Amino acid sequence: MITLQLLVNGLALGAAYALVALGFVLVLNATAAVNFAQGDLVMAGGLLGVALAPHLPGYLPLPGLLLLPVVLVLMAGLGLLLAAAAYLPLRRRPPVAVFISTIAAGIILQNGASVLFGPEPRAAPPLLGGGTLDLGGLVVAEQSLAIIAVAALLIAGQQWLFGRTQLGRRLRATAQDPEMARACGVPVTAMILITFALGTAFAGAAGLLLANRYFVTPTAGGDLILKAYIAVTIGGWGSVPGAVAGALLIALFEVGVSSVLSYPVALGLLYATLLVILVARPQGLFGEAARRRA
Amino acid sequence: MRKGVRKLWALAPTLTLPRWAGEGIGVAVLLAYALLYASPYGLRVLTVAGVYALAAIGFQIVFGLGGALSLAHGAFFGIGAYATGILGSQWGWGFAATFPVSLLVPLLLALLVGLPVLRLESHYFALATLGIAQVVHLLAVNSPGLTGGANGLPGVPGIVLFGWAVPRGLPLAAVVWGFVALGGLLAWRLARGRWGRALTLVRDDPLAAGTLGLDVGGLRLAAFALSAVYAGAAGALAVHTQRVVSPEVLEFPIMVSVLTIAVVGGRGRVAGAILGAVLLLHLPEWFRFLERSYLIVYGVALLATIVLAPHGLTGLLDRLFPARPALLPKPEAPPEMAIPNGPLLRVEGLTKGFGGVRAVDGVSLTLEAGAITGLIGPNGSGKTTLVNLISGLETPDGGRVLMGDVDLAGKRPDRIARAGIARTFQAVSLPEGASVLAAVAAARLERDGSIAQAEAHALWALERLDAADLAAKPCAGLPAALRRRVELARALARQPAVLLLDEPAAGLTDGEKAELAGHLRAIAATGTALLVVEHDMGFLLPLAGHVLCLDQGRPLYAGPPEGVRSDPAVVAAYLGEGA
Repeated sequence: MITLQLLVNGLALGAAYALVALGFVLVLNATAAVNFAQGDLVMAGGLLGVALAPHLPGYLPLPGLLLLPVVLVLMAGLGLLLAAAAYLPLRRRPPVAVFISTIAAGIILQNGASVLFGPEPRAAPPLLGGGTLDLGGLVVAEQSLAIIAVAALLIAGQQWLFGRTQLGRRLRATAQDPEMARACGVPVTAMILITFALGTAFAGAAGLLLANRYFVTPTAGGDLILKAYIAVTIGGWGSVPGAVAGALLIALFEVGVSSVLSYPVALGLLYATLLVILVARPQGLFGEAARRRA
Repeated sequence: MRKGVRKLWALAPTLTLPRWAGEGIGVAVLLAYALLYASPYGLRVLTVAGVYALAAIGFQIVFGLGGALSLAHGAFFGIGAYATGILGSQWGWGFAATFPVSLLVPLLLALLVGLPVLRLESHYFALATLGIAQVVHLLAVNSPGLTGGANGLPGVPGIVLFGWAVPRGLPLAAVVWGFVALGGLLAWRLARGRWGRALTLVRDDPLAAGTLGLDVGGLRLAAFALSAVYAGAAGALAVHTQRVVSPEVLEFPIMVSVLTIAVVGGRGRVAGAILGAVLLLHLPEWFRFLERSYLIVYGVALLATIVLAPHGLTGLLDRLFPARPALLPKPEAPPEMAIPNGPLLRVEGLTKGFGGVRAVDGVSLTLEAGAITGLIGPNGSGKTTLVNLISGLETPDGGRVLMGDVDLAGKRPDRIARAGIARTFQAVSLPEGASVLAAVAAARLERDGSIAQAEAHALWALERLDAADLAAKPCAGLPAALRRRVELARALARQPAVLLLDEPAAGLTDGEKAELAGHLRAIAATGTALLVVEHDMGFLLPLAGHVLCLDQGRPLYAGPPEGVRSDPAVVAAYLGEGA
């Protein structure tokens, strides 16, 4: 029963990590650039939820769920801003330039948040309610189930968008080969902007989902970007399903090891495992999907 | 008014200052400030700026010159800090003993983790080094017995130099800046010398660096290790200044500060590290209201610099006060390399598969001294893969590459290059930031004693191809034909016994092709064996004494060039009817 309990917790955490990693890998594929601010964008989404919560009319039910679309839209706007400031001016420069510009964007977000909100941990409202459900002896937090459901919906939406729509085809064409896509008349810059908006909105959603049970502090982004990065690495650099699978794996690992030992040990082991994987199998557990770009 | 300004501007380059003017003025201003104006608090900020300058100088070596974005630099800083902190406060060791340990421990760790991690591509390298930094931080926070845990360790003694306990204020600032001067001078000399040049080539084009005889892995490891020593020294000085050590020294803000200093000051420049450190450490003083969130200013500075002035402040200063162009050296022929007669390179049964595709499938060939061999075949027939296998950029699955009695198959590119094999690339790649002379001189770094000598020999190679007039031009912006010629000169500067050319005539006009053919004949006449991959039969067939045609990785034809056009298999697979 405890194992099942941990499994649900791990899945909930993994579902949120999956959104983070998914946003990271979408931008990576569209731009061949590492968005180092992704973790800080998660934090920004969480704090946005915290800041917006008091402004909701009190008589409305389900505060968290109502916040979700607002956070998604505002974060998508932030994503456009990020792309305009830290990616578009640098697209003809070596990848390390974007790495540094997004580190800079992350620093600005992180310290901006600490000026506005202070360093204390904050909690966003739960999506549905703060209670627990008893499923035949298995006691599960409503929030855990809500996280899993929302993340699954968002990921399914992304799959549908990319797989079934004309816009999705253009987004995929841009990710596969921007030069070729441009030659075929795809507005590549617009597609990149949309990808940034989508990736940032996903980060924001993850932030809102995580900020209830795990709280949010301005410095929370550092760990999150590492985990997204690790998820994408073990899932195979550039692979979208790999990123989701990798995120679930590391969340289960984290929850499992924390329950037996402690969180710092789990984190240390996670990083140590990452180093071993990088050295032994740099193409990830499932093989590398991203083409090398000359 | 505007016109007047422009006139003044036009005058500016003629007001050439002595070479040391910039650095001299900087040092004088810093000294005057420290001695005359600085308050005790100001001196403290200056001291901390010195600590960061030292750390940033080390970062310039690994990131600026070597191009490896090491996010473990903050960790090395912290480890140096903890080594001094623990030994000084718990074990009672003095500066003379703790300081060397603070350099040694980061060095050893860098050597240990560097070997596997440095093979990784740029973003994986950044991730791996960030992982290392996180592990070190976790260890420091969670081992209270050793490190004092989250609270850290107080009571770290000050610096004692030859029995003189350095007091705070001006003396401490002077000692720290003394270390900066020492470390800066060393790094500056290294950066300007052969080692620094080699390292920048490894950064700009690791593949080409290997084929020019440079040990890419060794150079990267040395840069990583040396940067760790600088970081460790800076960490040690930091705790001597603060007198406590806590996990703060391992946190990301230190890493971010060093990165910002290096980028804002000017990537790869020692002067940039110092200028950046002095500026950025004083910047928060003007933004006091931000308190602990002063890093937001760093974020803005970093973003603005990377977008608007990628070469940083020193880059801007260079543009304002351009350096006088260096005088070209006198061309000088390098000592002759004796090339034996007869067969120089024998390839036997070379095989390489990618997944299920056999790109090269049992190819054998012999390159004779002074002979030109043509390698032809349809696209995807394995010509470039064969050249990559011989030059070591790909590892063969089977077969031998014999130079004399030595089997070079599967050896590292730099070993193969040193054995006397040089090559050019189908897509010419020259370091965009370098001058033609510097790009060609890179081929001599491994062999010559000094940059001056390497450049003299490089000019000799350029002269042989009638390209000496290009020497002072930047590589960026050269037209395609000249880029090919510069790359050929670079390969020629290796004085190779065997020269592999991958489509040297692609994109050339007929006139340029005729000129190239003349150059290739002249090179062969000195005894060098040439292998030329080419599609243009009109260019290749009159030039080559022997032709090998590949199809799907297998030899289709091997024989005299006259037989190529009449061979039914070659015509069917490659030339087509009516060829």
